[in-house]
Amino acid sequence: MTTDARAIPSAPFSPNASGGRADSLRRSFRFGDAMLGLVCRGSAAVIAIMLGALVLVLLTSAMPAIKEFGFGFLVSSEWRVNELERPLKDAAGNVVVEDGEIVMETIKPAFGALPVIYGTAVSSLIALLIAVPLSFGAALFLVRVAPTLRMAGPLSFLIEFLAAIPSLAYGIWGLFVLAPFLQTHVGPAVKSALENVPGLRWMFYESVTIAGTVVERPIPITGRDMFCGSLVLAIMILPIVTSVSRDVLKAVPRTQIEGTLALGATWWQSCVAMLRYGRSGLFGAVMLGLARAAGETMAITMVIGNNNQINPSPFAPAQTMASLLANEFAEASEGLHQASLLYVALVLLVMSLLFNIIARRLVVGKASPAGH
Amino acid sequence: MASARFETRRLTSDAMFVVCAACTLLIVTLLLLVSGYLVWIGIGSIDLSFFRDVPTGDVATPGGMRHAIEGTVILLALAAAVGVPLGVAAGVYLSEYSHEWFFAGPLRFIADVLTGVPSIVVGILGYELFVVPVSRWTSNSVSFSGYAGAAALAFIMIPIVARTTEEMLRLVPKTYREGSLALGASKAQTVLRVVLPSAFGSISTGIMLALARVAGETAPLLFTALGSRLLTRDPSEPFPSLTLQIYTYATGPYPEQKKLAWAGILVLLALLFAVNLLIRVVAARHAATRLGKV
Amino acid sequence: MPATMTQPRPDIALRAPAAVPRGGPASAYPIIDAIKRGDTPTPRIHDSVHAESAILTVNNFELWYGQSKALHGITMPIAKDKVTALIGPSGCGKSTLLRSVNRLNDLIEGVRVQGSIDLHGTSVYARGVDVIDLRKRLGMVFQKPNPFPMSIFENVVYALRISGERNKKALADACEKALRQAALWDEVKDRLKASAMGLSGGQQQRLCIARAIVSEPEVLLLDEPCSALDPIATLRIEELIHEISSRYTVLIVTHNMQQAARVSDYTAFMYLGRLVEYGRTADIFQVPQLRETEDYVTGRFG
Repeated sequence: MTTDARAIPSAPFSPNASGGRADSLRRSFRFGDAMLGLVCRGSAAVIAIMLGALVLVLLTSAMPAIKEFGFGFLVSSEWRVNELERPLKDAAGNVVVEDGEIVMETIKPAFGALPVIYGTAVSSLIALLIAVPLSFGAALFLVRVAPTLRMAGPLSFLIEFLAAIPSLAYGIWGLFVLAPFLQTHVGPAVKSALENVPGLRWMFYESVTIAGTVVERPIPITGRDMFCGSLVLAIMILPIVTSVSRDVLKAVPRTQIEGTLALGATWWQSCVAMLRYGRSGLFGAVMLGLARAAGETMAITMVIGNNNQINPSPFAPAQTMASLLANEFAEASEGLHQASLLYVALVLLVMSLLFNIIARRLVVGKASPAGH
Repeated sequence: MASARFETRRLTSDAMFVVCAACTLLIVTLLLLVSGYLVWIGIGSIDLSFFRDVPTGDVATPGGMRHAIEGTVILLALAAAVGVPLGVAAGVYLSEYSHEWFFAGPLRFIADVLTGVPSIVVGILGYELFVVPVSRWTSNSVSFSGYAGAAALAFIMIPIVARTTEEMLRLVPKTYREGSLALGASKAQTVLRVVLPSAFGSISTGIMLALARVAGETAPLLFTALGSRLLTRDPSEPFPSLTLQIYTYATGPYPEQKKLAWAGILVLLALLFAVNLLIRVVAARHAATRLGKV
Repeated sequence: MPATMTQPRPDIALRAPAAVPRGGPASAYPIIDAIKRGDTPTPRIHDSVHAESAILTVNNFELWYGQSKALHGITMPIAKDKVTALIGPSGCGKSTLLRSVNRLNDLIEGVRVQGSIDLHGTSVYARGVDVIDLRKRLGMVFQKPNPFPMSIFENVVYALRISGERNKKALADACEKALRQAALWDEVKDRLKASAMGLSGGQQQRLCIARAIVSEPEVLLLDEPCSALDPIATLRIEELIHEISSRYTVLIVTHNMQQAARVSDYTAFMYLGRLVEYGRTADIFQVPQLRETEDYVTGRFG
C-alpha cells in the first residue's frame, strides 16, 4: 500500500530515545510552525481583504449614483451639483406665464463622467504620444550603445532615481515653471502662427451660449490646460516607460541581434528587429505608462485647469478623473454628488487595474520588472 | 541600384542612431532640468526657520514647517508599524508557502493588482473606512485623523513590501533551507533563523524604498489626514504632513507661503535622495558581509 | 530482418565491426539487460554484510517521483559504526536512497514511498513519526558546501540551538569538540565569530561536517561531499571520514570509485534504482561476484 510521503502526521518518534528536554521541545516547535503559519496566512488574507474592501466600499458608496444614472453616466456631460431653477418653456420654446408670473421648473442635480473620461483619455494619450517614442529611442540607446561607452550604469541609475521623484514635485514645477512659460511664450506664439489657418479656429476660439445667444470668444490662455497637463504627464512617465522598455530589450537574445547583423543589416535595421521581437513586452511598457498617466493625481490637478467640460482645444482647461476627485471630493455634500464622485472613482479604479493587469501579463517573463 | 538603396539604408541607420542618442539626452536633460530647478529654487527659499518654526497664521510671515516635518515622520512611523509586519509576513507566505498554490497564486496576483491602484482612490477608501464611521460614532461633523492617513499610507505600503519581500526570499538559495531542515529544524526555525536573516539586508532595502515612496504621497492624505496648521502629535485629529502643507501653500495665493512650498519640495527631494543613497551603502556593505570580507 | 541484411556486401565488409560474440556485447551483462527490460533482479548480497550488526535496515523500499519509479525494491542492512558507500552511474538512485533515510525527499511534490527504512527497528516512514526529531538523530552533508550566512560558531552550534540549548559553556564546548573532530579547529579557533562565507570550499565542507556531527547523530549521511572540492581538500575530507568512522555510522554516496575504495568498509552498487551487488569493499573491488560489478568498478562501462 502506497502512502503519500507527506501524509504522515507528527508524533514522538520512539518513546525511549531522547526524552526530557526534547519532548517538551517537540510540542514547542509544532507550536512555532503553527504560529508562523497563522501569522503568514493571516497577513496574506489581509491582502485579499484589502482588495475586497476596496471594491465593496466603492461599489456601495457609489450605488446611489449607479442606480440613478446607470451606464449613461459614462456618456453624459452634465455636472450640475445644485438644483437649478429656470423658467419653464412649453413645446414651442416660449416661456410659460401663469397669473402674470413666470413659472419656474426645478432641474435636479445630474452628473456625468464623460468630460473627465475625455480628459483622462486625451491627456494620457497625448502624454504617451510624446513619451513613448522618446523612451523607445532612449531604451535602444541604453541597450545597444551605452554599454560600450560604459555609460549604461550611471544613465540607468539616473533614470531610476528620477522615477522616484514624487508627483507633487512635478506638479509644483508644472505650476510655477511650465505653465507660466506656456502662457507667456508658447501659447501666444502658437496662436499668432496658427489662428488664421482654416480649420484650426477651434483651437483658439470657443462657442459659448450666453443669455440665449451663441457667442464666439477666444479661449483665455492661462498655461494651465490640456496641453500643459499632457506635457507634465509625458515627463512623468518617461522614467518608467524607459526603464521597462530597456529591460525588455535587454532580454532580447544576443543571437537575434547577431543574426540580423550577419545578414548585412544596418544598426537601425537590427534595432527594428529587436523592437519587433520584444513588441509584446514593449506594449506592456506602454500600458504601464498609460496606467501611471491615467492614475496620476497631484501633478495633473495643479496644471490641468479644473474645468469639467469637453473642449477639443489643447489650450482649454480640462479635468481628469483623478483631478476631479482631488478638487471636488472634499466639499462634496453627501448624497448624489458624493455618490457620483465615487462612481468616477470606481471607473478610474477599473480602468487602472485593467491597464495594470494587461501590462503585467505582457511584461512579466519578457523582462524583470523594473519597479521596486 | 543596390548600392544606392544601401546608401539610403546606411544614412537612415546613422540618422536613427543620432535620433536615439538625442532621445536619451533629451530625457536625461529634461529630468535633470526639472529636478535641478526644484533644487535651485528650493535652496534659495530655505532657511533655518523652515525647520524650527511652526505656522504663525500670518500670511506675510508664515513661519516654518516644523509641524509638517514632524507630522510626516509620525505618519510614516504609524504606517510602517502596520505596513511592515503585515507586508513582510505576507511576503513570507508567498515565498515559503508557495506550494499552497491554490491560495498563493491568486494572492500574488492580488498584491500586484493592488500596487496599481491610483493613490487618490486609496485616499477615498480611507475616507469611507476610517473617517466616515468614526464621524458617526463620535457624532462629529467629520473626523479626519492622522490614523486614517496612516492607514491609507499602509494600504499602499503593504502590497509593495509583500512582493519585494517575496522576491528577496526567493533569492535565498534552496540549499540553506535543506541544510537547516536536515539538521532537524522545524519550518518556523528555518524561516526565522536562517532564511529571513540571510535576506535581511535586501528586505530592509525594500522597506526603505516603500517608505520613501509613501513619504512623497499627497493624494491619500487629502481626505484622511486632511492636513493641519497646528503642531500636533495627536494622530486622532486632523494631521499635518509635509506633502499636504506644500500642496496647500503652493496652490494658495500668498507668495511667502509659496516660498515655503519650494523649500518643502527641496527637503522632500533631499530625503528621497538620502534614502536612495543609504540603500546603496547598505546593499554594498551587506554584499561584503556575505562574502566574508567584514 | 530483411534477407539482404544477413549478407554484408563485399565492398563494405572491411568496415564491418570486429567479430563480436553472437548476440552482441549486451548479453555479457544479463543483470543490466534485465534491469533495462524493467525487471528487478535479485541483488547479490554477500554474506559478510549480514555478519555486522545493522543500525539501519532498508526493507523492500520503493519510491516514485510522480509517475516515474526511482527506487525498486531495495533491501539492504547498513552496518553500525562502519562506512558504507553507495556507488553507481548517474541516475541510479543512490542520492534518492540517501535522502529517503532522513526523509528529505518529503520536500519534493508528488513523492510516494512504499516499504520501509528501519532505524532501530522502527520505520522512519511509520505513522506517527516526528520527522523533525528523526532528522536531529541523523546528520547530512550536501554535495555543495552550504554554510549558513552566519558566523562559524553559529553554524556549528545551530543544531544545538534549535534543540533549545542556551548554556554558553555547553555550546562552546560542543563547538570545539565538533570542530576538532572535523579537523578544522586549529584553522578557525581564533576567528569563530567571523563569517563562515569567508572560508575556502574545503574548509566550508569541513564546517558542514562539524555542523552535522555536533549533536552526535546516529547516522551520518554524506551526499557526494567531495564532488565540489579540489583534490587536496578531497583528501583531507577522506581522512576525516576515516577518523570519525569509528564513532559514527557513515552512509556515503559517491560517483568516484577510487574514493569508495579508499574510504568505505562496505560498498553497494546500484543501477537504475535497483541494488545490484553489496558486500565488503575489498570484495566488491577485488573479487566481485557479478561481471557487471567488475566491469563497472574497473571502468569498462558506466
